[in-house]
Amino acid sequence: MSRSTSTRGRQAAQRAAAARERIAAAQRRRRLFVVGGSVAVVVLIVAVLVVVKVATGSGPASGKKATSASAQVVQKVSTVPDAVLNTIGVGTAQTPPHKISGAPLRSGGKPEVLYVGAEYCPYCAAERWAVAVALARFGTLHGVGEVTSSPTDVYPSTATLAFHGASLDSPVLAFTPRELQSNQVVNGNYAPLDTLTAAQQALVNKYDAPPYVPANSRGAIPFVDIGGQYMISGASYNPGVLQHKTQKQIAAALSDPSSPIARSVDGTANLITAAICATTGGSPGNVCSSSGVAAAKAHLGASS
Amino acid sequence: MRRRDAVVTVRSQTSGPGVRVSAPWVIAVLAGVLGIAVSAYLTVEHYTNSTSFACPETAAINCLKVTTSRWSVIAGVPVAVLGLAYFVVMTALVAIPRRAAALRALRLLGAAAGMVMVFYLVYVELFRVDAICLWCTGVHVLTLIVFATVLWRDGVGDRA
Repeated sequence: MSRSTSTRGRQAAQRAAAARERIAAAQRRRRLFVVGGSVAVVVLIVAVLVVVKVATGSGPASGKKATSASAQVVQKVSTVPDAVLNTIGVGTAQTPPHKISGAPLRSGGKPEVLYVGAEYCPYCAAERWAVAVALARFGTLHGVGEVTSSPTDVYPSTATLAFHGASLDSPVLAFTPRELQSNQVVNGNYAPLDTLTAAQQALVNKYDAPPYVPANSRGAIPFVDIGGQYMISGASYNPGVLQHKTQKQIAAALSDPSSPIARSVDGTANLITAAICATTGGSPGNVCSSSGVAAAKAHLGASS
Repeated sequence: MRRRDAVVTVRSQTSGPGVRVSAPWVIAVLAGVLGIAVSAYLTVEHYTNSTSFACPETAAINCLKVTTSRWSVIAGVPVAVLGLAYFVVMTALVAIPRRAAALRALRLLGAAAGMVMVFYLVYVELFRVDAICLWCTGVHVLTLIVFATVLWRDGVGDRA
């Protein structure tokens, strides 16, 4: 092979390499343009959504308006078989009532259960079922309604009972429900319902605050004071078990000991019952000495 | 000096498309694996009713509110499960370093579908649930990374 042929070969190879490099550079530019442009479009679309959201603002939404509870629901809540409650014990209840050492809370000469909540509140929605099951073991509930929690909050539209205007007819126990707000939005806020007396507000201020609850849960609802001896702040079980269920479905599930709903609601009801029994001196005996309540008693929270 | 992507190329001896493992390939696979991890976490939280969500709770940020909303399920399937399935499939697709036309088209289609879903979910968070889920936002960013890397690898054809 001659020297000139070799030189021409090298030059051709260099030209080919330069051409390949030019093509590669052009391709990188195209890629940068396509990818950069696409990502920019994505970011722009998201930015527009955020700007529109900020500009239009937001607020709470109304839930299903409270109505009178169906007789079937009230009957099922009030007649959960003892055998079911005894089988479940504490079930999957997560937080037992907390022991407090306040002045005895009484009304009409009887120990009093003060319930403070709101109709829009999903945690209240969960707790009401257990409170109702427990109260029904000491007397007869009247004026209970049906309502759903806020459709735009955590555990949206949880089906529950409504305590606004409810009462308990019992020889051993008084019940004072206070639903502070409804689930109906008026002028951008949930409409007010019940108000607390100064004494009730003082209980909330004292016990729904550190050291009884974490600082970030101060004033949380639901708040339940059981005769000044025990208190509950927040839901005692996971409200998720009630999701996508109707009142009728929940009420029916309460008598099935294998149901996750019964294990949560009835377990919590046993804990609340045990706390109430501590304030009623163990009356009524058939309730307070039942094995389910005895099992729950061992789990009641320690004093602070 | 020109910057070049770190590319390890193993050209097949036939005239078929080459097998290419590049920086975008590594980024896409890493994003896919991270996407699987985060989606798996969201799936676990979904089925355990999210009582232990590692997520701050403010007026605008609330993971629980998003993942328990009625928009957290599509046709009976939790969005978290859909996300997990998506990332498993996309990770498998992007992990295959071959650039056959059908494979490229499939990757591009999957990446684009992921972005459409991201737009829908961001819309739902902002205008329906009224809260942002940080874990979900993480998934959205990972989807965007997969989209961008797939576009880089497969969106512009080689002319060489």
